[in-house]
Amino acid sequence: MKRRHILMLGAAVLASTTILAGNAQAQDKKWKIGFSQCTTIEPWRAQFNKDIIAEAAKHPEVELIITDGEDKTEKQVADVENLIRQEVDAILISPKESAGLTGVVQQAIDAKIPVFVLDRNVETDQYTQFIGGDNKLIGRAAGEYVVEIMGGAGKASGNLVEIWGGMGTQASHDRHDGFHEFTDKEPGIKNLLDQQSGDWKQDQAYNIMANALKNNEDIDVVYGHNDPMAYGAYLAAKDVGREKDIKFIGIDALPGEGVTWVKNGELTATFLYATPGAEGLRQAVSFLNGGKVEKTITLPTEKVTSENAEAILKEKGM
Amino acid sequence: MSGVLSLISRTKLYWGLIAIFLLGVLSSPVSSKGNNIFLSYGNLLDVLRQVSITGLIATGMTAVIITGGIDLSVGSLMAICTVVCAMLLTVEGDTTAALFSLPMAGIVALAIGFSIVRFVIVNLEKSKSEEQSGRDVALDRTRGLVIPLAAGAVLAGLLLWFLLPQVPTKFGVLGVLIVAPSVGLCFGAINGLLIVGGRLQPFIVTLAMMVTALGIARLTAGQNNAVLPVYTGSNAVAEFDNLRSLVFGIIPAPGLFFLAAIVLYAAVLRLTPFGRYVYAIGGNEEAARLSGIPTGKVKVATYAISGLLAGIAAVLYVAQYRQGKPDAGAGLELDAIAAVVIGGTSLMGGRGSMAGTFCGVLIFGLLSNILQLHNINSNLQLVLKGLIIVGTVLVQERNAADLMNFLRLPARRPAQKGASVERRRQEETRTLEET
Repeated sequence: MKRRHILMLGAAVLASTTILAGNAQAQDKKWKIGFSQCTTIEPWRAQFNKDIIAEAAKHPEVELIITDGEDKTEKQVADVENLIRQEVDAILISPKESAGLTGVVQQAIDAKIPVFVLDRNVETDQYTQFIGGDNKLIGRAAGEYVVEIMGGAGKASGNLVEIWGGMGTQASHDRHDGFHEFTDKEPGIKNLLDQQSGDWKQDQAYNIMANALKNNEDIDVVYGHNDPMAYGAYLAAKDVGREKDIKFIGIDALPGEGVTWVKNGELTATFLYATPGAEGLRQAVSFLNGGKVEKTITLPTEKVTSENAEAILKEKGM
Repeated sequence: MSGVLSLISRTKLYWGLIAIFLLGVLSSPVSSKGNNIFLSYGNLLDVLRQVSITGLIATGMTAVIITGGIDLSVGSLMAICTVVCAMLLTVEGDTTAALFSLPMAGIVALAIGFSIVRFVIVNLEKSKSEEQSGRDVALDRTRGLVIPLAAGAVLAGLLLWFLLPQVPTKFGVLGVLIVAPSVGLCFGAINGLLIVGGRLQPFIVTLAMMVTALGIARLTAGQNNAVLPVYTGSNAVAEFDNLRSLVFGIIPAPGLFFLAAIVLYAAVLRLTPFGRYVYAIGGNEEAARLSGIPTGKVKVATYAISGLLAGIAAVLYVAQYRQGKPDAGAGLELDAIAAVVIGGTSLMGGRGSMAGTFCGVLIFGLLSNILQLHNINSNLQLVLKGLIIVGTVLVQERNAADLMNFLRLPARRPAQKGASVERRRQEETRTLEET
């Protein structure tokens, strides 16, 4: 019996070795680029990965390795350490958080691997490039649009509900600040809620909106710090039959969420928080091929309304 | 022949480790210079550094599990300690962290001073009356209570004299290395006291502690800055970096802590009466109690040490990841339990070893490393890890044959159901006879 165990163990080892070895013999490609993603569970992150994979398919000379940090700092640090050991030609990283990943990014830089930091920055400036969206810019675009649909600059009026993402996250504060640069100039616009946070989640936004609907007879515009929250607010209004009187504005514009909801007429507009996936890979390839890259790239936003929603979905293959 | 086989079966744990290692070496991708990446010194050091935090937690967990208990709170305890550590390092003045961690450190010092002095006095007394080899020594009030208490108070006073001046400034490395583990030890001891004093299930008590401690960690960290970044040299002392770097350029500091802890604890379990008691309690707690073993004290000690090690792991976490945060140890307890179980320690208690846990931790660490080096999809990695846990435990428990029989059609099933249980019983009697 024991002998059989040993045999079985041996067989298992052999089998897995061949599988692994087969896996390791990837085609000989010119550039090996590692991308450390912090988590893949959120829809925005999933889109991020889709974008980078789609871009990599356009560069046959690139072998792209994607690792998933599983939303744990420890795991992501180990992922990057591993990429360093594999001697990849460039590392793209979208850190789970700034402090926790700074050390390992430094380690990669010390190992003379060019590092492209995506979306969230780290506490060093020796990386090759930072690419990210600008939430304040997006907030401004949303604020300008809301003023426009509420009557135009100088004469806008109505009641506004704002649902925050999280009081502790910079993104939420930026989306708030940019937005209010425009709406606060309008004396006619009344803010109904005082800093209500839906934690970026649809169900929590539903509850906030349900309460707001009970307390306020008249709501004109809902601004959610992301699309799922704007959609949650829409569902709450729909459940009391008031969705037609209210305009819902969100941010992120993921094809599967915001853009689809806009196309269905549920949201009035959403503003793109672009993933740096495609741009990041393009920049890395151009750098490896000897091109010069800028230190910082800020991705532009895009307004999605019923006019262009369908076209965007088609472009994304949906 | 049978001698060789029994040797192989007795050392099968190490064979598992060696098999994983060989698998790593044989399948490793090769670097541009033609070196084996898996075998490179840097990679092996990475593995040691990556496993050291789970390893420290698993070390404490092993003793708890051998007593037949379980400690689910270690992840949350580590979270509290990372928050305390990061806050003491980076924020000046009376912070929430300082408010509860310093009294805790004082209490720990008091308790340690008390027990050491009392232990010495008891043993002196014992050696004086040598003919009487009984366990119980009656002490009068002065020597039994007052002197140890005074010694404890002196120790606590000395410690606070060292720590309190650091509050208005920021804490140094030694300061947090004392305070954070003390906090862990205190919470661990609370676990133990509730389990022993309240006669509650360890599962329930530590589950409650897991939730409570997470809440305390979040309250301490505050809502708006859930992550407390630690940048050595700018907002914290530069020497804190030493806990991350290589010691003597050979071994990473966290790895050194892990190795030291597991070797020490293994020695304690193997060589001291305390260690024997731990096994005895796991084997049969009632019998142990009736034969005069202070089961309550021993159990409280195992939970307290588990908390202590979580606290040490927390300081290393802060050093390694430059931050303290309430979700630092999320899921860690399960990783640690998995490593302990892979190492052959029985969840029923009474059986297991630190050497096993060491192998279990390394098997897990090497496996993740190998899968990473091959860029295996991380979802598939989870599946493989689960399979490895079940597979190793099956081999460990020698129940693989039973499972095979169970899966066969009833008609073709051999009549030796439960054969491995029978065989183990025989082997155990045999080893008993041998010794």
